[in-house]
Amino acid sequence: MDQDSNNKKIDFGDFLEFFLLDSQEQIDKLGAGLLQLEKDGENIALINELFRSAHSLKGASGTMGFTPIVELTHNAEDLLDKLRIGRIQVTNEIIDVLLAVTDKVKIMLDQVKQNLPITEDGGDLALVMKTLAEKGSLTEQELSVYKKTKSDKNITKSLIDFSLLPTELDNLKEAILAGNAIYQIEVTLTPNTLMKAVRAIMVIQRLEPLGSVVKVLPSVEELETNDADKFSLLFITKESPEEIQADIGEVSEILDTAVSHYSISDSASVVNQKNQEGDKKGESHPSESQESTGITHNVDSPPNAQQAKTNTLSSELAGESGNNQVHTIRVDTLRMDNLINLVGEMVITRTRLVKISEDLHAQYQSNGLVSSLNETNVYLGRLMSDLQESVMKLRMVPIGTVFSRYPRLVRDFCRKSGKKIELVIKGEETELDKTVIEMIGDPLTHIIRNSVDHGIEIPGDRLAAGKPENGTITLDAYHEGNHIAIIVSDDGAGLNLKKIYNKALQQGLIGEKEELTDKDIANLIFLPGFSTADKVTDISGRGVGMDVVKKSLNSLGGLIDIKTKEGEGTSFIIRLPLTLAIIQALLVEVGVEIYAIPLSSVIETLIVKNSDIKTVGGLQMVQLRGNTLPIISLKEKFGLPEDREKQDESFVVVVGLGDKAIGLVVDELQGQQEIVIKTLGEYLNGLPGIAGATILGDGKVTLILDIGSLIQDVLISDRLK
Amino acid sequence: MAEEQLVTFSLGTEEFGVDIMRVQEIIRIPPITRVPKAQAYVEGVINLRGNVIPVVNLRKRFGMGLQEETDLSRIVVLQFNGKVFGVRVDGVTEVLRLDNDSIEPPPPVALGMDSHFIRGVGKIGERLLILLNLDQLMGGVVQNEQTA
Repeated sequence: MDQDSNNKKIDFGDFLEFFLLDSQEQIDKLGAGLLQLEKDGENIALINELFRSAHSLKGASGTMGFTPIVELTHNAEDLLDKLRIGRIQVTNEIIDVLLAVTDKVKIMLDQVKQNLPITEDGGDLALVMKTLAEKGSLTEQELSVYKKTKSDKNITKSLIDFSLLPTELDNLKEAILAGNAIYQIEVTLTPNTLMKAVRAIMVIQRLEPLGSVVKVLPSVEELETNDADKFSLLFITKESPEEIQADIGEVSEILDTAVSHYSISDSASVVNQKNQEGDKKGESHPSESQESTGITHNVDSPPNAQQAKTNTLSSELAGESGNNQVHTIRVDTLRMDNLINLVGEMVITRTRLVKISEDLHAQYQSNGLVSSLNETNVYLGRLMSDLQESVMKLRMVPIGTVFSRYPRLVRDFCRKSGKKIELVIKGEETELDKTVIEMIGDPLTHIIRNSVDHGIEIPGDRLAAGKPENGTITLDAYHEGNHIAIIVSDDGAGLNLKKIYNKALQQGLIGEKEELTDKDIANLIFLPGFSTADKVTDISGRGVGMDVVKKSLNSLGGLIDIKTKEGEGTSFIIRLPLTLAIIQALLVEVGVEIYAIPLSSVIETLIVKNSDIKTVGGLQMVQLRGNTLPIISLKEKFGLPEDREKQDESFVVVVGLGDKAIGLVVDELQGQQEIVIKTLGEYLNGLPGIAGATILGDGKVTLILDIGSLIQDVLISDRLK
Repeated sequence: MAEEQLVTFSLGTEEFGVDIMRVQEIIRIPPITRVPKAQAYVEGVINLRGNVIPVVNLRKRFGMGLQEETDLSRIVVLQFNGKVFGVRVDGVTEVLRLDNDSIEPPPPVALGMDSHFIRGVGKIGERLLILLNLDQLMGGVVQNEQTA
């Protein structure tokens, strides 16, 4: 399992930071919430919240492949669930165990942070939690297990400043890796003990056979002259705390011994308390409240334990802020969207300003005020586009956050099916708008599942075909102009075009006389209703749900394309716009209406003689530099009245996505403008050919054309009608 | 006594009422942008202070003859289930209170229009007030039948 988590970790190094940040937050929430719960007793809302925290922690760790954390949090989740449905009651025991879990997970996260394998074992805790979840309490026998874990929990109890040198710290880390535990031992001598240094040396001698003493505080020399009656040791050992305690107990004139785990991550917090070092250790030590609380007491006196935990919690938080600087902040998306909306409104308002200034200029050309208004407008425009860009960047998320879920998917499938597939991920750092990221996950999952399920052959078939036994699926993302391309390619069998063709014929999706290129045939799988699912063939499932994939990509303004070669594999190429909120657009007039065409889709504009437009198979075409370009009249497409005099020539806007292009016949070109995309709302969503609306400088609503859906409409449906 | 507060408006000779709590505002007719391929009764979309909202032509919705826009024509902006849309009416008449007692269920054969739209009929002396069922105006069962 550790092996496993190691592999994952390397794969997801880039997202580790996000994961750690998020997990830390959940753990902190859990910790604070549990303490609150202990106070409140029954508090369903709080338990629900805790449950959610545990759940998302589990989910995140699962995605990253940190199985030990998943195991712990899963059991914690179960336990919380039982509390939630009232099967068991909140007891101090349960709170203690759950807190121990948060501590344990923290240690594991620390190990993850330091790029170490997770060596912490949560097995005992998991067991205790299972028992608790079943019975709601622990028997004497189980308590012994629990005590053991309890001492584990004490790991965070450490607050003693050993002023460790970096080399000593490294030694400690190595010791942990070697499977040792580090304890801080606080020894309280009987008051007025003579020769305190001798007592300390005796303790050290007792300990020496069990492990190694790293540091003594105050030092033996100081003890001799000091009047403090306590000293602390930092001790590396494989022995249990109980044994250490028993051993030290044999030294005479010792009043009390407290053994607790020492965690390295705490050392930073300890550094912060350096100013107290000069004070008398015995009286002013911050952890004094714990010093009388031995391990055995901890179990019996939860209030004390709780206090100790609260102490460590706050000190650890302090430690974190000192330890790693936070480079990111998390902001509610609502606030961010609000900001983006405001910027959008500003863009619109500026457009109005520009219009007013132009009108003024037309009226009072020589006026100096008008010119300076113009200048200011230009400057404001520059500022606005900078501001806009910065704001839009806030919404950009690396696509790796989506990609990261697929290695698991592929691996699990391989386990089940016996196929051998390697998933290669590239371009994780490519950034995309958050909305797109959120919506791209499901279609991608679908495509990858298809590739895994039907694209890659079983090892035997692959070997027979002379291919390497291991299939490869490549997931790649990169920028391509104003778009981002996501490519899922496999080196599997490729689509069986013949079967797809026959199937489509059988289902009446295409006519018999239709001449289709291979590409057209491959694209048939995106037709709604196309399905090969009714019987098991080697392509069954290939087309299932692909129309849904296409639709959801279209709704994002994207396009999907297939390249396939029999025997060599299939590639799905997805092209998506970078952002969804503010775009450059070309405004065109069609009749009395004005439409906005996203400039990123516009290839060129042409003037075409009407006599050059030929009709081929029900589709209008023009010759463009030797290629035929399908054209559609927006007026016909949208059923607008013909209200202009027929001209000899028409304006054609050539739009394209990927390698597909069509021409849109319009009456007039109005020019280029920045527009803010607004939704048409639920009532009018999903209209064919319309992506949304925007508000122009004059306050009028203008519709934005959905080029993706127009193109796919023309190239697929119309042709196959 | 339980009563309802209604905003009433007219379409031709008929008078209609909607619950005042559903009425967000009443505006003059701004430029309306036609939306191709939308349902016929959707006249288009308008800009309501930066938000794009759809407008239903109630005359079309109720199968009445169309009429030129006049000075009195208004758009009543309604909120229903968190969604905002406007209905175009010939004129807004008044705001009034109506006892629940004076509201009767819709007659089986409703005044020449689809009875889906009618929640009840209110009586104020001699006047008859048609109370509208908002969830049917946009979408609802009727739309599904049409689009199916």
